[in-house]
Amino acid sequence: MAAELISIKLNPESHLILDQPLLRLPHELARRNFKTVQRSVEREKEYVIPALKEAANASLSNTHSPDQTLAALDAMISRMQGLKRKMQSLQEEEKKIQTHSRKRIQHLETLHKIPSLADVKYDQWSRVRLDRLLVDHMLRSGYSDSAKQLAKDREIEDLVDLGVFTQCQRVVESLRRGETKEALQWCGENKAALKKSQHNLEFELRLQQYIEMVRTKDINKKVEAITHARKYLTLNAESQKDEVNQVAGLLVFTQDSRSEKYKILFSPDRWKYLSDLFVQTHHELLSLPSQPLLHIALSAGLSALKTPLCHSAYTSSSSNSQSTSTSVCPICSTELNELARKMPYAHHSKSYVEGDAIVLPNGRVYGKSRLLEISKNVGSVETGHVKDPTTGEVFNENEMKKVYIM
Amino acid sequence: MDLVQKEHDRLQKRLKASQGIKNVQSTIDILQQARDAIAQDPNQAAVTLAKLQNPVKSSFEAINDSLKETHSGLNKYTKSLDKLFKDRPLPSTEHDVLSEQEHLIDRAIAMHLLREGQFSVAATFLSDILDKKAMTQTSESTVCSTDQAAIVFDIDEVPSDEIRKQFGQMYYILHELKEQKNLLPAIEWSRENHEALDARGSNLEFELCRLQFVWLYHGESHEHGNKSGNVKAAMQYAQAEFQGFAPRYLREVQQLIGAMAFCPNLRDSPYASIFNNSSAWDDVANFFTREFCSLLGLSADSPLYIAATAGAIALPTLLKLQTIMKAKRTEWTSENELPVEISLPPSYLFHSIFVCPVSKEQATDENPPMMMPCGHVIAEDSLRRLSKGNRFKCPYCPNESSPKDARKVFL
Repeated sequence: MAAELISIKLNPESHLILDQPLLRLPHELARRNFKTVQRSVEREKEYVIPALKEAANASLSNTHSPDQTLAALDAMISRMQGLKRKMQSLQEEEKKIQTHSRKRIQHLETLHKIPSLADVKYDQWSRVRLDRLLVDHMLRSGYSDSAKQLAKDREIEDLVDLGVFTQCQRVVESLRRGETKEALQWCGENKAALKKSQHNLEFELRLQQYIEMVRTKDINKKVEAITHARKYLTLNAESQKDEVNQVAGLLVFTQDSRSEKYKILFSPDRWKYLSDLFVQTHHELLSLPSQPLLHIALSAGLSALKTPLCHSAYTSSSSNSQSTSTSVCPICSTELNELARKMPYAHHSKSYVEGDAIVLPNGRVYGKSRLLEISKNVGSVETGHVKDPTTGEVFNENEMKKVYIM
Repeated sequence: MDLVQKEHDRLQKRLKASQGIKNVQSTIDILQQARDAIAQDPNQAAVTLAKLQNPVKSSFEAINDSLKETHSGLNKYTKSLDKLFKDRPLPSTEHDVLSEQEHLIDRAIAMHLLREGQFSVAATFLSDILDKKAMTQTSESTVCSTDQAAIVFDIDEVPSDEIRKQFGQMYYILHELKEQKNLLPAIEWSRENHEALDARGSNLEFELCRLQFVWLYHGESHEHGNKSGNVKAAMQYAQAEFQGFAPRYLREVQQLIGAMAFCPNLRDSPYASIFNNSSAWDDVANFFTREFCSLLGLSADSPLYIAATAGAIALPTLLKLQTIMKAKRTEWTSENELPVEISLPPSYLFHSIFVCPVSKEQATDENPPMMMPCGHVIAEDSLRRLSKGNRFKCPYCPNESSPKDARKVFL
């Protein structure tokens, strides 16, 4: 009894493992937003204050005509107005993000009011969580339409990050098409944050541009490629010596080169590599886990539920679809059976069988009262007989034998 | 969690009170004023500009101050989040077995959506999958074409039109049952599947008909008060339908008919519970769902839901394990079995479990449970070890037996 009580107790704090990105992501967005504001202010400050000084000096020494002074002031004013507009739109964004955060905190807060895993409210909460995990999985797989529709149907749009993933997906698709523009633009927007990243996404993108120029075999393009390389690829010449040397070598090799090293560079698979690298960098930057949360939940759940009986060659007596008194085990159900095949099964230290277990002559073990009940309900069984719900065999009641399972 | 909420409240308040934009506006105002002054009197330009330096500088400082405030609010919120999730990182992702089986996950999701009645989402989802497949197929057409074909087959096979139709039917019947209190489609379905249901020992058909009888009896009585008409309708129904149930459900039928004798005052009769059962409709609906799914070989509740929930319950334990193992630099010794016991609520136990009381190992196909003539059960490996082929004493009672007398049992 005590063990039973423990097993249905809900510890909300430790239950929130899967929900970290739920709060982390909007917060990362808010911080990014804030940094943009900070940067814009800094930029205008660095422009306006020296410009003002210069204007004052020029006007003191009479090198500026009044018109020039006015023009300088107008320029400052219009830049400040630009800043204001930008800040306003960022503030709107900020508000949206914070409302999301708020709703999410509330959503997690409700879990604290649920005392037990057996509570109906937990069931509801957990269903919302599953929907969130599904949307997350769909977004990561690039099924944006399904994700949007599911989020809308279940009214959880505030609890999922459609925008972030859709944007990410757009860049991924552009890379798959063989375009670097959108990815580079993204790099530009996140320059500061990318400096800390260990992946050199931007270098790889520039390298790809270079490769595409070389690929054309057009001599003008090759010249352009050299300029491009000088401009973008030699920034970290020291740390990326090997790559840079290889880049230079590319000019000589052709696409059908037999050298593995160069073949890889020319291969169309590099686009796949780039889009994967982009996703990795993107998720890292927003502290998103690299694998779908659904995978984490499922791999834990499948193992926790799985028993050796789930993939047994023999039909289980205790849970199968042939009898109305047992419910089908989720691992045995068509949906998950194949998926769980390679997972380890749960560890148990105690046997778990019905208290009044009996064995039939065919070796099948059932709870006695349950078996009698089933047999009573099946119309075709004569009194004094029992029917094995798994195999359909009929036995005399006195053929039931007590079995001791410790 | 409380801390997080408090910090977030504070952060939101700060953002609301933020003077940033106001300060920018006041900078603009100062500049504009200076500009107007200079435009009016160009001779004042030098003085005005000189006077302008400090106010502009200080208004920029004011902007930065307000930003700093926001910044500290954000940082405090970060800290509260860190604190909430401290010691609870997401599990390490070194080997994600599931990502190799993406198509199986997609299949499970598609079936989950169908069984939850999300038909339009399911349709979009399936077409999204097909789109993606078409895309990858064109780009990888040369690679592993047989493998791809297998995947296509897999996905198309299960959530096929057939399954969709089945669940469509289920939701239609459930809708009629719950919203319209119309049991006829359900009864019709149970008649069509009479044999399969009977083999399962299912009472569904009778339960449905009984509820129909009760429903007819209650009729529109609240509005018309025409009791006798209702009783008549119920009795007619009983005459027409209950014949077939006679031998098996004789007692129940007698109860129903007997109850009619109490007619105007049924509430105080011994049969009140049959006629005034508020959860009867929900019970029948759940019963119907379970039977319907079982006939399709599916579990009544979405396996995906159960597995994901069980996963969330299991994760804290598994994470703890991961940390301990990392600290001790050990690895699992048993590859097929989780190294710790995870206590799930009783409703998450579906199969009987046999753990050999001698070896403490769980029975498997290779090492099945064996019952000795005395009725005690141990695993086959333990039996072999104990007996070494000779007669041996049961470890739990004085009975002696030969290993060949032991019989395999199925849990």
